Amino acid sequence: MTTKVKTAKKQKSPAMDLPRGMEVNLRLPTVMPPVPYPIETLVPKVRQQTPAVGQRATRPDGRLHGLGQTKYIDDMSFPGMLHAKIKRAGIASARIKSIDTSAAEAMPGVMAVLIGREIPVNSFGPSFQDQPLLADELVFHAGDGVAAVAAVTEQIAIEALEKIKVEYEPLPAIFDPVEAMKEGAHKVHAPNGNVYATKVVKKGDVEAGFAASHRIFEGTFRTQMVEHVPIEPHAAIATWDPNGRVTIYTSLGRITLGRADVARTLKLPINRIRLIGTIVGGNFGGKNEITQEPILALLSRKTGRSVKGVYSREEEFISSTTRHPIIMDYKTGVDKDGRILARKVRLVLDGGAYCSWSETTLGKAAILSAGPYNIENLHVEAYVVYTNKTMTGAMRGFGAPQVCFAYESHMDDIAEGLNIDPLEIRLLNAFGEGSASPTGQVLHSVVVRDTLLKAAERFGWKESR
Amino acid sequence: MTQVTMIVNGDSRTASVPPETTLLMLLREHFNLTGAKLGCDVGDCGACTVIVDGKPVNACLMLAVQAEGRSVLTIEGLATQNELHPIQKAFEDQASLQCGFCGPGVILSAKALLDNIPDPSKQEIRDALSGNLCRCTGYTKMIEAIQESARVLRGGSADQAV
Repeated sequence: MTTKVKTAKKQKSPAMDLPRGMEVNLRLPTVMPPVPYPIETLVPKVRQQTPAVGQRATRPDGRLHGLGQTKYIDDMSFPGMLHAKIKRAGIASARIKSIDTSAAEAMPGVMAVLIGREIPVNSFGPSFQDQPLLADELVFHAGDGVAAVAAVTEQIAIEALEKIKVEYEPLPAIFDPVEAMKEGAHKVHAPNGNVYATKVVKKGDVEAGFAASHRIFEGTFRTQMVEHVPIEPHAAIATWDPNGRVTIYTSLGRITLGRADVARTLKLPINRIRLIGTIVGGNFGGKNEITQEPILALLSRKTGRSVKGVYSREEEFISSTTRHPIIMDYKTGVDKDGRILARKVRLVLDGGAYCSWSETTLGKAAILSAGPYNIENLHVEAYVVYTNKTMTGAMRGFGAPQVCFAYESHMDDIAEGLNIDPLEIRLLNAFGEGSASPTGQVLHSVVVRDTLLKAAERFGWKESR
Repeated sequence: MTQVTMIVNGDSRTASVPPETTLLMLLREHFNLTGAKLGCDVGDCGACTVIVDGKPVNACLMLAVQAEGRSVLTIEGLATQNELHPIQKAFEDQASLQCGFCGPGVILSAKALLDNIPDPSKQEIRDALSGNLCRCTGYTKMIEAIQESARVLRGGSADQAV
C-alpha cells in the first residue's frame, strides 16, 4: 500500500513578510505591535550601524505620535482606578499646627487621605535628602504638598482638598539668595545654614593679573527662574499589589534612580519596586527625580486600588523643579589689545527650598563661567543658597546657559569699552587646539574660532557694520 | 447626567455624562479616544485640539453638551485603514514630532487650515499653529511638513519638496 504523502504547500519564511526595519535583526522579538490601524510600524534598528550624517532621519516613534496612538501615562487606566490630588500649602514658610482631614474623608467618593507623617521615610533628593514628599511639621515653600486625597473621580478629589483644614503658624521667610547668605538671615533648613554647596575654581594668580591689566571691567548679570513646561504634566499610576509589590508607571526620566528613591521612602527592599518608564511628553530635566510616586503608592496600599496622579499646570509651575536664577558678578582685566589677563567670577545660585540637582548645576556653572576663552589667572567662587521658593533643579544645560549669558554680555561690554569689534575680541581670546580649560583639561578638536568666522561670514557680520 | 449625541470620526456616538464634562473628557474617558491630550486645561497649549464642524477647537474649553449634534474629528479619525493622512505622512517623513504630546493637536490645526486654504503661506501656517505649543520647539519642521502635505493634497508630488 502506498500512501500519498501530501506535501505541505511551501511556506514563506515569516521573516519575508516583516515590515521595513524588522527584517534586519532577527534576534529582536518579531512581535507586531498591536495597533488598530493595519499600517506597518517602524521598529528601531537595534545595534545596527547605519549611516547618519547627511541622511534624513525618521523617528521610530514618529508614526504612532502622528496617529495619536502613543500611550502616555494619562492615556492609561486600570480597572477601579482612583484619582489622586495633592493639597498645596500656599504659604512660603510656616509651622503646621494641625491638619484636619475628617471632613474630606467623610465625603462620598473619597477613598483615602494621606498626610506626611504616614510616609515611612518622608524625605528624598538626588544628592541631599532634604525634600519631604508631603510637608509634615514645616512648610518650606508655597508649592509644598501637605495632604493627598484619592477619590473615584478627579473632581471629587479636588473638592476634597478644599475640605482639608490645615492650621499654619507663619514663620519668617527669605526670598533673595544674596540676603539669605548674610549673617542672621532666616535659616530655611535650621539649624543648617542657607549656603548648602560651594564650588571654587582657581587658576594662576588673579590679583597679579589684575595688577598687570590695562583696564578692568566689572558687571553684574542676573537670570530669572524658568519652568520646563513640558506639555505633558508629571503623571504616574501606582499599584500596591496584595503580594506587597509596588508597580509604578511614571513619566519619570530616570527610573533607576527613581526606583531607589521610592524603595527608600517606602522602606521596602528595592526588589519590591517595579518602575515602568513610559514615553515621556517632554522632560527637559524637570522629570529627573521622583515627585508624587511614593504618595500614590501609599494611597494605593490604603485603598487596594490603582491610583493615578497628574499634576495640574499650576502645580507644574509651583511644585516641580525650575531653572536656577543666578546672580553673576564678573570682573575682568584686559591688556590694550583686549587680551584677557585675569577674571574673577562670583555666582550665587538661588536653590529654592530644596537641593534637587543643585550640586550638579553649581559645578557645571562654575566650571563653564569663564567662557571658552584662554584665561591664565582665574578665580571662580560659586554658592547655591536655600530660599523659601520653588526648588530649582536640572534643566537643559545645568547652569551653562545662565553663565553663557553673563560672560558673553560681559565680553560685549569689554569690546565696547576698548572700541574693539566684538568678533575680534572673541577670536583673540578663544580656545584653540590644545588650550586648557579652567580645570586643566586639555582640549582637542576645538573649533570655536572656525565656528565664529563661518557664522560671521554667513550672516554678513562685516557688511552690517 | 445629560445625554449627548454627536458624530465622532464619522460614527454617531452617545454618552450619558455629568453636565460639567468637557468635550475632551468625553472623548478621552467615555469614547476612549486618548489622542487629544490634556496639557494645561485652560486653552493655552492646544494639545487638546479637535475639529468640530470644520473648525479647530480646544476640547478642554468646550463642554460635551455644546458638541451635541455636531461632527467631531479627532486624530484617530484621520488615517484610513490603509493609509496615513498626507499630513501624518509628512510629519513622519520630516520627523516633525519629538516627544509627540502636542502632535495630534498640531496635525488637526494643520488639517483645519488646509481644508480652508489649500496653499497657505508660511505666515498663514504660523498663524494656524499659534494656538499649539510645542515645548520641544520643533516648529520649523512642522511648518515644512505642513507645506509638504499641502503640496501632496493639491495633487503635486511629494518629491518636489525640498
